[in-house]
Amino acid sequence: MTQSPIVQQGVRLASPLAIAVAIYLLFAGHNNPGGGFAAGLVLGSVVALRVITGVDRPAWGSELVAGGLLIVLAVAVAPVLWGDTVLDQKIVSSTLPILGKVKTGSALPFDIGVTAIVVGLVILVLQGLHAEHYAGEPSSDHKGVDR
Amino acid sequence: MHLFLLALHVGGIIAAAWAGRRSMRLALAAAGIAPAAAAAWAATLMVRGTDSSDSTVVTWVDRFDITFRFTSGPVALMMTLLVSGIGALVFVYAAGYFAPTAKGATNFPATLLAFSASMLGLVWADSVWTLFIFWEFTSVTSFLLVGYKNTDAAVLASARRALMITGAGGLVLLAGLLLLASEAGTTTISQMEPVAGSTAALAAILVMVGAATKSAQVPFHVWLPGAMAAPTPVSAYLHSATMVKAGVLLIALVGRLFTGSESNGLPWGWLGIAFGTASVFWGAIGALRHTDAKLILAWGTVSQLGLMITLLSVGSGKAVFAATSIVFAHAIFKAALFMIVGEIDIRTGTRQIAELGGLARSMPVAFGVAVVSGLSMAGVPPLLGFAAKEAAIEAVLKLSGAEQIVVGATVIGGSVLTVAYTTRFLVAVFGAGPATKVAPRRLLMTVPAVTLAALSLVGFVLAPSINKILTPAASVFNPDSSVYELIRWPGLKTAFVISIAIMVVGGVLGWILTGRKASAPAPIGANLADRTLDGILIGSREVTAVVQHGSLPVYLATMISVAVGATVPFVFDGGTSHLVLWNSPLQGLVVAGILGSALAGAFVNSRLGAALALGAVGTGMSALFFIQGAPDLALTQLLVETIIVVGFVIGLGHLGREFPPVQTAWKTVRIVISLLAGTGVALALAAAGRQPVGSPPLQTIAEQSVETGGGNNIVNVILTDLRALDTLGEVVVLATVAFGVAALARARHSEEVAS
Repeated sequence: MTQSPIVQQGVRLASPLAIAVAIYLLFAGHNNPGGGFAAGLVLGSVVALRVITGVDRPAWGSELVAGGLLIVLAVAVAPVLWGDTVLDQKIVSSTLPILGKVKTGSALPFDIGVTAIVVGLVILVLQGLHAEHYAGEPSSDHKGVDR
Repeated sequence: MHLFLLALHVGGIIAAAWAGRRSMRLALAAAGIAPAAAAAWAATLMVRGTDSSDSTVVTWVDRFDITFRFTSGPVALMMTLLVSGIGALVFVYAAGYFAPTAKGATNFPATLLAFSASMLGLVWADSVWTLFIFWEFTSVTSFLLVGYKNTDAAVLASARRALMITGAGGLVLLAGLLLLASEAGTTTISQMEPVAGSTAALAAILVMVGAATKSAQVPFHVWLPGAMAAPTPVSAYLHSATMVKAGVLLIALVGRLFTGSESNGLPWGWLGIAFGTASVFWGAIGALRHTDAKLILAWGTVSQLGLMITLLSVGSGKAVFAATSIVFAHAIFKAALFMIVGEIDIRTGTRQIAELGGLARSMPVAFGVAVVSGLSMAGVPPLLGFAAKEAAIEAVLKLSGAEQIVVGATVIGGSVLTVAYTTRFLVAVFGAGPATKVAPRRLLMTVPAVTLAALSLVGFVLAPSINKILTPAASVFNPDSSVYELIRWPGLKTAFVISIAIMVVGGVLGWILTGRKASAPAPIGANLADRTLDGILIGSREVTAVVQHGSLPVYLATMISVAVGATVPFVFDGGTSHLVLWNSPLQGLVVAGILGSALAGAFVNSRLGAALALGAVGTGMSALFFIQGAPDLALTQLLVETIIVVGFVIGLGHLGREFPPVQTAWKTVRIVISLLAGTGVALALAAAGRQPVGSPPLQTIAEQSVETGGGNNIVNVILTDLRALDTLGEVVVLATVAFGVAALARARHSEEVAS
C-alpha cells in the first residue's frame, strides 16, 4: 500500500471536494444525471481512497447499511399510513431564500437511503478485503502510519 | 371475539415469558388466564345458544381469497371447551409437576400457551389458509415442547422425528387443501360443496395422509411414542386432548365433501378405514406390549385415534356422531390418565410397571382417578366412554356388507383390546406387587386430575346436557347426525350385549397378559424413521459436496456455460440486414480501445495488469453509453469501474502478483468457453435487435416522470418513483450482500486468528 505523506495529504484535500460532488449528484439527480446510487459510489470512492492510502479506516459500514435500509423502508411504508399505496411519491415545493424555488419529494430521502446503503456496502467490502487493517492492532507493515 | 381472545393469548405469552424469569408458578399462573377466559367464552356461548353469525373475517389478500376466517360454530365451541378447558387444568397441573425453581422456566409456560393459542386458531378455522397456518404453528410449538429437555440427545431426536413427520404431513396437507379449494371454488370450508373427479380424489388422498400424520396413524404413528419424552403436562395436553385430534377434526370437517355422493369413486372412505383399522389394532397391541406406563397410554391413543378416524371415514350419521362422542370422551379420560402417570412418575421416580405396585393403597386419590378414567376408556358404565362406545357399536350394527364386517371387526376387536390394556395398566400399576415408596401428594397435581375424572362421571349422568354439545357438532360434520344422542341406559339390546361381551373378554385377556412379564419391544419404526432422516441428510451432504465444490474458476465456467446455453435459441434467429457499422466513427474508436484492453486483459500475466485492463474495458463501455446519449448510465458505469478497480487493488494484496500457471487442457476449455460466450452473446444481441416486440413506452414514461415523479431525469424518476419497488428490492439485496461480506470476512478473520 502506498503510504506516501504527499498522497495522503492530497487525498485529505480532495475529500471535501469529492463529498461536495457527491452531494451535488444526490440533489441534481432528479433533473440531471446523478442520483443516490452515483452519489454513493462517489462517496465510496472517497472512502476507498482514504482506506488505501491509510488516511483513516471507517468502521461504521453496518450502521450505514442498516440506517439506509431503515430510511428506504420508512419512505416505502409511510404512504400506507395515510392511505396511499406503497412508495407513493409526495412532492413538496417551496421557496427558500438564496436558493429560490425548490421542489423536492419523498424521492430525496429514498435516494439518501440508497446512498447510505452503497457507501456502507463499500466500507464493509473494504473491511472484508482489508480485514487486517481493521483488526484493531496495526499490522507490522504500517505501524508508522496509524494515527 | 376471536381476535380478542387470540390477543389475550399473545399477551399471556409475553407475560409468561417475562414472569418465567422470576418464577415458574407465576409464569404458569399468568399463562393460565387466557385459556380459562377462552373456555369461559365457549361455555357462555353454549349456554346462551350459539350464534353462527359470530364469526371473524380478516381479509389479507382479496384477489387470491387469502382470508383468515374464524367461526363460533358448534364444532369450534366444543373444541374450544376441550382445548382451553383442559388447557387451563394443564397449567394448574404443571404448577404441581414442576418444582417451583425448575430450570428453563423462562420458556415452558409461554411455549405451552403459544401452543394453546395455535390450537384455538386451528379449531376455529373456517378457511383452508387459516387452518393450515395454525396447523403448522401447532407442529412448531409442539416441537419446542417435546424438545423441552434439550440437553438430552434422545429427547432431541424424538422432537426432531415428530417435527419431520408432522411437518412433511403438513406439506402434503397443504397440497391437498389447495387442490380441494380449487375444486370447490372457495377457500371457506363451511361453504364448500361436495367434490368429485380425479383432482378431488387426489385431494382426498393428500388430505387424508396429512391428517394421518398429525393424528399418529400407522405407519406415521412412530413419532407419538417418542414424543412421550416431553414433560407430562405436555403429553396430557398435546398428545391426548388437542394436537393429535387436529387430524381427526380435519377429517371430520372435510369428510362430507368427499363422501357426499355414494358413487363418486373417491378413495376417501376406504383409505381412512385402512389407516384407522391398522392403527386401532397396532396401537392396542403396542399398548399391551409396552412396559412404560406413559408409553402404554401413548399407544392407546394411537388406537383410539384410529377408532375415531375409522368411524368418521364410514361417514354415516350415527358413525360420525359416535366419533364425535369419542373425541370428547377421550380428551377427558386420556388427559386425566396422563396426569396420573405424571404424578406417579414424580412421586415414585419411575414409570416402569414392573417397578410399580401397591399404589392403590399408597396413592388412593390417584387410584380413584385412574379407575374412573380407565373404565371410561374401556367403555364401562356409568361413564362417558361407555355411552360413546355404545354409539359406535350401534353405528356398526346399522352398516351392511363388507363395510360392516371390516368396521365391526375394528370397533369390537379394538374395544376388546382396549379393555385388555386398560386392565393391564390398572392392575400392573396399582395392584399387588412390591409396595413402591411414594413421596407426598402435590395438591396442584391432584385437583385437575380429580376434576377430569369427575367429568367422565358427571358427563354420563348429565348426558342430555353433553348432547347439546355433541349433537350440533356432529351435525356440522354430517347433517344426518342431528337425530342421535348419547344414551345412558340402552336396555338389553344387541349393542349392550356386545358391550358386555367386550368387557368380559377384554378383562380376561388383560388379566392374563398382566401376569406375563415381557420386556419392552424395540422401537423398530422409530429407528427406521430416524435412519431415513439420517440417510436424507447424508445424501444431501454428498450432493452438496459434488455440486458446491468450492472452486471459483469452475463455478465461473459453469455459470458462463449456462449463459451460453441460454443464447442458443437466438443464434439461428440472426440476420445482419438491420445492423449498422456505427452511428458515429467515435464509437469505432472506443470499440477499438475496448478490444485492445480486453485482449491485454486476456494475455497479461500480472494480476494488477489484468485488473487495470478490465477497468479500461468498463471505462470504454461507459464512453459508449455516453456517446449513445445515456449520461446517467455512463456516470454510474464509470464510478462502478473506479470502485471495482480500487477493490481489485486492495484484494490483490492477498494474492500473488502473477497468475498461477494453468494446465493446457483447462486453459483450452476456458478459451473455448470464452469464445462461445462472446459469440453467443453477440449473436443473441443481434437477433434481439432484429425483432423488437412492441414499441418502447418512452413517451408515456417521459410524461409520467414529469407529472407524477416531478423530475426531468427519466432514469432517476424510474428508479425512485415509477419503479421504486424494484429499487427497494435491489437495495435490500445490496444490504444483504453487505452483511454477507461482513460476516464472511469476520469468519475468515477469526479463523486466521485461531490458526
